[in-house]
Amino acid sequence: MDKKLDKLIAAHEADIHAAPAHVVQQWHSAIDEAAALERGRVPAPAPRWHPTSFFWGMAVTAALAIGIGIGFFVTDGNGPPAGSQGPMVASTTPQSEIVPAAFTRGLQVHLRDSRQQIASLDQGADRTTLVLQLIEQNRMFETAADQNNAPKLARVLRAFEPILLQLAATDIAPEDAEALRAQLAFELNVMLTKLASESSDDSQTT
Amino acid sequence: MKIGGTPTQTDFHEAISARSDRWYSACLKITRNPDLAADAVQDALLNAWNKRHQFQSSARLDTWIHSIAVNAALGLLRKSKPGIFEPLDTDVESNTVRPERAWEEHELESELARSLGGLTEIERVCFVLKHLEQWRVKEIAAELKLNEGRIKQAIFRAVKKLRMSMQSMKREIDG
Repeated sequence: MDKKLDKLIAAHEADIHAAPAHVVQQWHSAIDEAAALERGRVPAPAPRWHPTSFFWGMAVTAALAIGIGIGFFVTDGNGPPAGSQGPMVASTTPQSEIVPAAFTRGLQVHLRDSRQQIASLDQGADRTTLVLQLIEQNRMFETAADQNNAPKLARVLRAFEPILLQLAATDIAPEDAEALRAQLAFELNVMLTKLASESSDDSQTT
Repeated sequence: MKIGGTPTQTDFHEAISARSDRWYSACLKITRNPDLAADAVQDALLNAWNKRHQFQSSARLDTWIHSIAVNAALGLLRKSKPGIFEPLDTDVESNTVRPERAWEEHELESELARSLGGLTEIERVCFVLKHLEQWRVKEIAAELKLNEGRIKQAIFRAVKKLRMSMQSMKREIDG
């Protein structure tokens, strides 16, 4: 290996970008949350019929089925043909995400329900069980957002998970739980407002 | 730094405090996207935490997390831009800076980071994996599902372009 290449590599090796402080803090918190969740892991709840969870289970399933179905339909109908070699504009430029309306509606329902459930959370194992259910639903929507070519939306949904995990921990202090609930309520409101304004923009332009 | 035994929560915190800038930098060089780089490190940390009982007694915790983070970054890059490593019919040398790059370069400050932006995705990833992460050509080929000849070609082009950009940087400093 020649000296110039050594120099080049050494320069790149030494070129370290410091991660933003809030991101580093987020990594520390992620480990704390994972550890807390492990310590406070509750046994899986006995299956019980609950009108709310049954309704939302159905709603989530229906929204996902419609969203994914439309996603496949749109891709099959308008996407580049298989084996296309040319550069694709959609994958090389920052894009505004076009999400099927049915998926957006399903997501709005999920977010509203989450907001309502978080507002009425009790302390204890029931709270943990309920939050873990919300996490599961959130993951399903995150997967569906990815499948619907909406990575930004998937990312936002992914960002809810660390907060929900903190809230699911059984050893969390009541004041911390309250702060997390307030934070989640705020984030959910922001997202619902954004989704509502985007869907009204769509209906005006179509 | 932790070597051997099952790492504890404190070990993870110490590793984050001491080495997370290096993990983040490596992921940033691969993805050229600060959000994806941050996600890759977080995924790696949670993955490492969940698999900490499998941690090899002879390994260092920070290097173990580093390698998981690099793999996570490759996975996220592939997910965010499907098909980026697929070979084109005419795999020609290109000096064109694409619009997204121009935006990314604005976000990243260092001259060296900017010079990485002058490479194509495959050139950049191959260069980083080979020369900064010390992967073997065979390993890169297996990871990117390409033949070794193409990997060598991409590394050669990357080095050539980076040398040129270093020369122009030097001229700017000297001049």
